[in-house]
Amino acid sequence: MGQDSTVLIMNPLPSSATLVLIGLMFGILHAFPDFSGASCTLKMTLRNFRSILSWEYKNHSIEPAHYTLWYTIGSRYEEMKIVENCTNITRSFCDLTDVWEVFHETYIPKVVGFRGNTTLTSCTDYFLLPMDMSFEPPEFGIVGFTDHINVLVKFPPAYPNIIDQLLYGSSLVIEEQSEGIIKKHKSKVHGNVNGNFTYVIDNLIPYTNYCVSVYFEPNSQERVRKSPFKCILPYPGQESESSESAKIGGIITVFLIAVVFISTIIILKWIGYICLRKRFPKVLNFYKFQAWIFPKLPQPEAVDMVEVICVTRKKKVWGYDYDESDSDDETVPRAIPSGYTTHGLTVRLLSQASAASVTTVESQFLDPDAEEPDLPEADPSRPATPEPGPWQSEGTSGPYQRRESPLQDPTSEEESKSTEGSGDRIIFNVDLNSVCMRVPDDDSEEASLKLSSLPEDIVHLEEPDETESSLLVASGEAVQPPDSFSSSECLWSEDAPSDKSDSSESDVDLGDGYVMR
Amino acid sequence: MIQKCVCLVFLVVLFITTILSLDCNLLNVHLRRVTWQNLRLLSSMSNSFPVECLRENKAFELPQEILSSTQPVKRDIKEVFYEISMQAFNIFSQDTFKSTWEQKHLKQIQMGLHQQVEYLEQCLEEEENENDWEKMEEDEMEHSGAAVPQLGNLELKRYFNRIKNFLKDKKYSRCAWEIIRMEIRRCFHYFQKFTELLGKK
Repeated sequence: MGQDSTVLIMNPLPSSATLVLIGLMFGILHAFPDFSGASCTLKMTLRNFRSILSWEYKNHSIEPAHYTLWYTIGSRYEEMKIVENCTNITRSFCDLTDVWEVFHETYIPKVVGFRGNTTLTSCTDYFLLPMDMSFEPPEFGIVGFTDHINVLVKFPPAYPNIIDQLLYGSSLVIEEQSEGIIKKHKSKVHGNVNGNFTYVIDNLIPYTNYCVSVYFEPNSQERVRKSPFKCILPYPGQESESSESAKIGGIITVFLIAVVFISTIIILKWIGYICLRKRFPKVLNFYKFQAWIFPKLPQPEAVDMVEVICVTRKKKVWGYDYDESDSDDETVPRAIPSGYTTHGLTVRLLSQASAASVTTVESQFLDPDAEEPDLPEADPSRPATPEPGPWQSEGTSGPYQRRESPLQDPTSEEESKSTEGSGDRIIFNVDLNSVCMRVPDDDSEEASLKLSSLPEDIVHLEEPDETESSLLVASGEAVQPPDSFSSSECLWSEDAPSDKSDSSESDVDLGDGYVMR
Repeated sequence: MIQKCVCLVFLVVLFITTILSLDCNLLNVHLRRVTWQNLRLLSSMSNSFPVECLRENKAFELPQEILSSTQPVKRDIKEVFYEISMQAFNIFSQDTFKSTWEQKHLKQIQMGLHQQVEYLEQCLEEEENENDWEKMEEDEMEHSGAAVPQLGNLELKRYFNRIKNFLKDKKYSRCAWEIIRMEIRRCFHYFQKFTELLGKK
C-alpha cells in the first residue's frame, strides 16, 4: 500500500468572528452569574453509622482558619440556626446525627469560613438525606478456616432512628473474589441490626486466595463506596487469623519482656547498683541435698551447762583465828606459802540445781580487787576425798582448811573482771581448756560437776597424794568425766592463751600432774 | 414471501408493543425505577443551591398525611402517583428559560415524567376495564367511607397550585426554579414509599 499523505488545510476563521464569539461567551457568563456559590464542596456521608457533613474549599490558598455551621429546613421559611457543636471549629466536618433527624426533610446547611474576625467565604447546598448521603463501608474482619471463611461485620449495638431509616431497604453486600470470579452476597437491612454479625463463606477451593470486600448498596444503587479488599489463603490445618495473630503477639510480648528484664539487670549490675554473687550461698548449696534433707545427727554427748561462780578472796594473813564475819566481809584470797592467791569459783550445775551442792571450784585468778562472793570455809570434819578441788596444790604441805591463794592466770583474770556482776553469783564463760576442775568420784559416771550447797563450803587444798577426787578434764569439745586416778592431772589445751608465757614466774609443778601457773 | 415478511413484522411489532406496554403487575418495580431516575435527574440539574436564594424560600406544605393517616389500597396509590406525575410534568413544561439548568437535563426529566404519566394511565384503564364491578363496590366504599383518594388528590392539587403560584409570583426567576426543584425532589422521594406499599400488596 502506498503512503497516503493527507494535507490538512485549515481555513482560519475571520478574526472579527472570533472576537464576536469570545465576546458572546463572556457576555453569557456575565449574564448568568455563577449560582453555584461553590467556593467549597459539601458532602454528606454515613460514617461509622453517623451522619457526617464535610466540606472542602476549592481555593486552598484562601483556606479559613475556623468554620461555623448554620442550617435551615427547606420546607419552611425559617431563619438560619447555628449548630452549637460546630461553632468556630478548625476541623472541616460536623456530626449532624442528632441535629438532622427528619428522614424526608430537605436540609440547607451554610458553612462560613473565618480567619480571625474576618469572614472569608461561605458556601451552601441542600441535602435530602436518603438521596444525597453516601454510605461508607462498615468495618469488618475475616477469619479463615480450612473449609470456610467467617466475615465479621461490625455493627454498633444501637444507633439513632434516622440512621435506621437511612439503612432501611439498603443492602449489605459481601463481595467475594477468587481467581477472577466475583460473587456478591446481598443481605437486605431490615430493622435495627444490633451488634456484630457473621457471614460464612463456605464451599471454598483449597489453596485458593480469597478476597473479601463489604459495602452498603443504597436504594438508589448509586454512591456505592466499596471497602478495600481483605484477602486470605485458607489451607488445611490453618488456625483462625485471630488466634494465630494472638499467639504471635503473645510470643513477641514475652520476648520483649524478657529482653527488658535482662537488660535492666545488666545495666544495674554495670552501674553497681546491685551486686550479683558468683557463688550461691552455702544455704542454697543443693549439691549435698541429701545431707541437707537428712542432716547427720550429732552423736549424743554429755553436755551440761555449768554456772561458774567466781569467788575472790582477799589475801589474808594466816592467822589461827577464824572469824567468819571477817570472811564474810573480806574476801581475801587465800595465800599459800608459794605466794599465790587462789580465787574460789563456785560452780553450780544448772541442770541439777535443786539437788546439787555447790562445788567450789578454784581457779587461778589474780584479782585482789574483785569482789567475789565468799567461798564457804570447808568443814574440817568432812572427808577430804569427795571434795572437788579446783587445784591440787601440790606444792603445799599438808592438808589445810583454808582457801588456797589464787594463782595467777591472766586469762581467768580477764574473765573474772569481765564478769563482775551484781549479786553473789557471777555467770561467765570459762574456757575449760584453761581451767582445771574436779568432779567427785561418786559422781564420776555423770559428766557433770556435783555441786555442793553453798559457796561457804571450804575448799580444801589437799595433798596431791591424798587426793582421790577425779578431775574434770576439759577438752576442746566435750567435758568428759574423768576417770579417777591417783595422780591428778590438769590437762591444758594447747590453744589456751597465756599472757604469762614469758612471765618471770615459772610454772610450778605441784606434783601429781598439777601444774600451776 | 410477502406473507412471511408481514408475519415477521407483525411479530416484531407485537413483541415491541408487549415490551413497551409493561406489565401493570410490575407497577411497583417500574415506578420505583422511573422515580429514582427522575430524582437523579433533578439532582444533576444543578451543582449546589445558591446562597442568595435562601431568603426567597417558602413553605409549600406537602400533604404528608396522605401516607400517614390511612393504609391506601393499591388503586389509591396509583391515583396518587398519577396526580403527582401529571402535576410535575405540567410544571416542568412551563417557561424554564431563566433557569440555569442544562436543556438536556430538562428534556430528560420531561420525558421521564411523561412516561410515568402514560404508564399509570394505562394501568388505571386496564384495571377499570377488567374490574368494573369491583370498582363499583370500591366506589361505594369510597363514598360511604373516608373518601381518602379524593381528599388526597385534592390536597395534592392544592399543593401543586401553591408551587405554580410561587413560580408566577417570582416571575419564574432562577431562585424560584431552584426552590421548586428542591421541593419537587422532596415530594418525589416522599411518595417513593408508595412503591414499597405496592410491592407488599
